Amino acid sequence: MRLLRVLVLGLYACLALLPLVWMGLTSLKTRDDTIAPRARFVPVLARATAPDSAAFPATLEAYGALGTVHVGAEQSFWEHLGHSVVIGVFSTLASVLLGTSAAYGFSRFRIPGSKDWLFFILSTRFLPPLAVVVPILMLYRRFELPGTHLGLVLLYTAFNLSLAVWLMKGFLDEIPRAYEEAAAIDGYPLHTAFLRLIVPEAATGMAVTAVFCLISAWNEYGFALTLNHSGAITVPAYFAGLQGNIEGMPWPQVAAGALVFVTPIAAFTVLVRKHLLRGVTFGTIKR
Amino acid sequence: MPGERAPLHGGRLGTAFVAPTLAFLVAFNVFPLLYNLVLGFTSAELVGGGWEWRGTANYARVFADPQFAGAVRRTALFVLCAVGLELGLGFAVALALRERFRGRDALLTALLVPMMLSPAVIGLFWNLILDGNYGILNQALGALGLPEPQWTTDRSWKFLSVVLVDVWMWTPFTLLISLAALNAIPSTLYEAAEVDRASRWTVFRRITLPLCAPLLGLAALLRTTDALKQFDLVMAITGPNDERTQTVSTLLYQVLFRDGKVGLGSAYACLVLVLVIALATVFTRYLEGLRRSSA
Repeated sequence: MRLLRVLVLGLYACLALLPLVWMGLTSLKTRDDTIAPRARFVPVLARATAPDSAAFPATLEAYGALGTVHVGAEQSFWEHLGHSVVIGVFSTLASVLLGTSAAYGFSRFRIPGSKDWLFFILSTRFLPPLAVVVPILMLYRRFELPGTHLGLVLLYTAFNLSLAVWLMKGFLDEIPRAYEEAAAIDGYPLHTAFLRLIVPEAATGMAVTAVFCLISAWNEYGFALTLNHSGAITVPAYFAGLQGNIEGMPWPQVAAGALVFVTPIAAFTVLVRKHLLRGVTFGTIKR
Repeated sequence: MPGERAPLHGGRLGTAFVAPTLAFLVAFNVFPLLYNLVLGFTSAELVGGGWEWRGTANYARVFADPQFAGAVRRTALFVLCAVGLELGLGFAVALALRERFRGRDALLTALLVPMMLSPAVIGLFWNLILDGNYGILNQALGALGLPEPQWTTDRSWKFLSVVLVDVWMWTPFTLLISLAALNAIPSTLYEAAEVDRASRWTVFRRITLPLCAPLLGLAALLRTTDALKQFDLVMAITGPNDERTQTVSTLLYQVLFRDGKVGLGSAYACLVLVLVIALATVFTRYLEGLRRSSA
């Protein structure tokens, strides 16, 4: 039984993590080494290696080349990463602020039809982007929003509100009402109690919620691809655009860029590891 | 006074807290639904104005279109295969990870990373791994003396390739939920089973599995609603218009953005939305039951 357990775990860990390791190795190669007929997986610090050896000369060229503009694109990887950061950060701020306020309302007040509203909010998460994007695109054209940061910030805020409201409601429900009651006895109005007592108390929850909102805005692809054809193109849409490149896929740069792009997310995953379960189940499972 | 659960106040202040969010969500979700409904009866195109009413012509076409039926069937098959494999594998790995050992938490965190990454970006990189000629997967298979299929170009393998990458991405999700379910089983039950000298299989079938079932159901539902939208990986691995891998979302992309047929595409979209909303209703009911039973 113990042997079986070790076997299952070992095999799964290899399959789960090797693709990421391979991405790291690929980012250190030249393009020729990425498509060598015999896989090369040992990085060495040499100028050259024998053509049929498993070793390849490690180089940081691909990371340097992230600043170049590829055929068919108008901006370099770094500029697209900048768009991802701007859109991710602002939409996250907006969803956490709106979401916290709404969650507080649902947590503490008698709102008519609150249960139905909460499930309406959750159900917005299930709509496939491709099934709702055209009306949004047509609306956006009136306001010249396609291709802008603002357009995607608004959309991602709307998209992430479901997550923010549900997660924050879970966190706020755990804060005892004694806080507001004590503030009321001291003569503070409720909104003061909310800002001075509840928000600081819910800070961890807000940070966790922010991480999950940021991750889903960061990774989003369907809306990014269809709304922004120029200007503020985020990294996932930019990478997809490299497909069918006449020069062939620039694999080392793709790997290097992907690594740069996913590293902050992997770091955030480690940071919120205690709350992952809550995050991925919309706060349904608390522990 | 019921104490804890009683609302602080009624009325206006509460509305002020929730109104901005609700207004925002209605604008971004209800408006597109209604507009879609209108567009579905027109001949609107992506570029250039000028619509004509076409009545139910778009819908007549959609229902007669084998491509739409095919995409719906394929999406259902995709959900079935991917979610099924993810549940089985995730639960199996969770069983193996159940007992504490040194470095378990670190290993678990590392194993969870794939589900947090961008499917579009990582899916693109998977093309290099799956490449039939120089991909590392086929080189590994070749070294073991196994067949080396053309994963992303062979008609009979493409679909499986997309499923496999999805399984790679999302097994961490079912693993995480399975582990929570396993941890919630009270150890007294196992002790009682030991006293009764129940066999391992009986313990698994009578205690472990039934007690995990509600959370496994939640995992299945969450994964299903997500897998139904499958778009990113198909786009990255085969593109939107491949007869073997076209899902509902990629079909919509093809019709709306490659062909520019907004009227027809909106009719497709409306049908998809009806299906999705029906499923979402089932899902939220399940969630409500789960919350009530755990409260």
